[in-house]
Amino acid sequence: MFPVDHADLSIRIGIMAILSIYTAIILLFLWIVTLRVIRHSKDHRRQRVSDIWRPLFSECLLGVPETLPALDARDQVQFLYLWNHYYESIRGEAAVSLIELARRMGTDRFAKQLLRARKLRRRLLAIVTLGHLGERSVWNELSALLDADNAFLSFVAAKALTQIDAQAAVSLLIPVISKRSDWSPLKVVAMFGNANADMAADTIARAACQASPDIAARLIRHLAVTRSARALPPLRTLLSGGTAPDNVTAACLFLFGQCSDPKDLTMVRSYVTHPTWYVRLQAASALGKMGLEVDEARLVALLSDDIWWVRYRAAEALSNLPSMTEEKMAALCGTLPTVESQEALLRFIAQSNASKAGAKPVPDRSVA
Amino acid sequence: MEPAHDQKPNVLMVEDEEDTASLIKFLLERASYRVVHAKDGREAQSLVESMPVPHIILLDVMLPFLSGLQVLSYIRNKPGWDKVPIVMLTADGSEHDIKRALDSGANDYMLKPFNPRELTTRLQRFLSRPA
Repeated sequence: MFPVDHADLSIRIGIMAILSIYTAIILLFLWIVTLRVIRHSKDHRRQRVSDIWRPLFSECLLGVPETLPALDARDQVQFLYLWNHYYESIRGEAAVSLIELARRMGTDRFAKQLLRARKLRRRLLAIVTLGHLGERSVWNELSALLDADNAFLSFVAAKALTQIDAQAAVSLLIPVISKRSDWSPLKVVAMFGNANADMAADTIARAACQASPDIAARLIRHLAVTRSARALPPLRTLLSGGTAPDNVTAACLFLFGQCSDPKDLTMVRSYVTHPTWYVRLQAASALGKMGLEVDEARLVALLSDDIWWVRYRAAEALSNLPSMTEEKMAALCGTLPTVESQEALLRFIAQSNASKAGAKPVPDRSVA
Repeated sequence: MEPAHDQKPNVLMVEDEEDTASLIKFLLERASYRVVHAKDGREAQSLVESMPVPHIILLDVMLPFLSGLQVLSYIRNKPGWDKVPIVMLTADGSEHDIKRALDSGANDYMLKPFNPRELTTRLQRFLSRPA
């Protein structure tokens, strides 16, 4: 009997296994079909919303249409995506018409509800929309999000605040920018740049003065993008205090060079003999952008520096001085005391000759 | 080939973003242009081969398959198309792209997001120039 029972058990297990596999396959198939149906239905709804609203959003280029269709509650999220895309595609009066259309459709109320959604994507959509709408009533909620752990969420909230009231957002954002190492300085500059480049420069420079050295150095280097001299006064005060860390000093010198305000020339000159090599390097580069004939001697002295990068940048700066000519560089090269200093200068003499002859200059792949 | 002399000026618009394309098309059709739309670089290339020379071309820099700069070079090397005014559409801040486009033969550029009035004014400026 035992062998028969054993065989029976094996058959049963086999049948059970086959049934399980078939059931799993059927369930999987049903799951795939369900997903496809859901996807198809979403695509269909998305297409329907686009077909209805795209022409109406386009009409906003001329003014808000008199009559607008009703918006199904299930279509509101899709409507918001489409609206934001259109809003971000245009500037000028048409953008104002789009805001009016959105308010007429109750988008502001829906976006406020969405601000408390569980899904991050929906919350982000709500914040972006409320920022575009300039919705002042959510100021406190957006301010609270500045401290969110998620860098993206906090940054989008900051951007929305600057859209709602850039002036009022500045005082809120200075301490936040000075703390958040996870915000890209370039994006911070762009965030304010939309409002006003001077405001961006001033705010970020003040935030840099309060920030830790690493964050401050990153912020200051990116201030050059604003092309605004408003960043300079707080940084001059910072450097004249004499306590700025070396990386912050180097970043300030980089910016002084980019802005080339003659007021900073004396300060830049004072750093060509600094004990830290990258501070000397930035001072040399800045002198190349803003220096005068009297600075030639300072740069020539740096051609004998122990660090290759400093020699390289000093040679480049010398070649960039308006008072420098090819003949002067060639004559100078013969008087240099070391092979290293001559090599540094020879590269730029060669580049100058090549560009004079119409040859394509060798791309500068340097990083320092 | 000379531009087709018709009452409505023809515009070849090369733009992959559907929403932006729909906005520009609406705007230009309202301003009495006839718009031919290419959704990517390849389609633009094949239209250049098959359609009459348009009065003006609006060309996005970032396109699928072939970039706007590649399409630009292709157009400029096509006999009869070398004088067609080309306005590049480019994302805000891409100065490098703008410089490359102008060096490669583009006549003007528009930054995205764009101001609708500015776009039609710029196009009009090219059309009112003597041929």
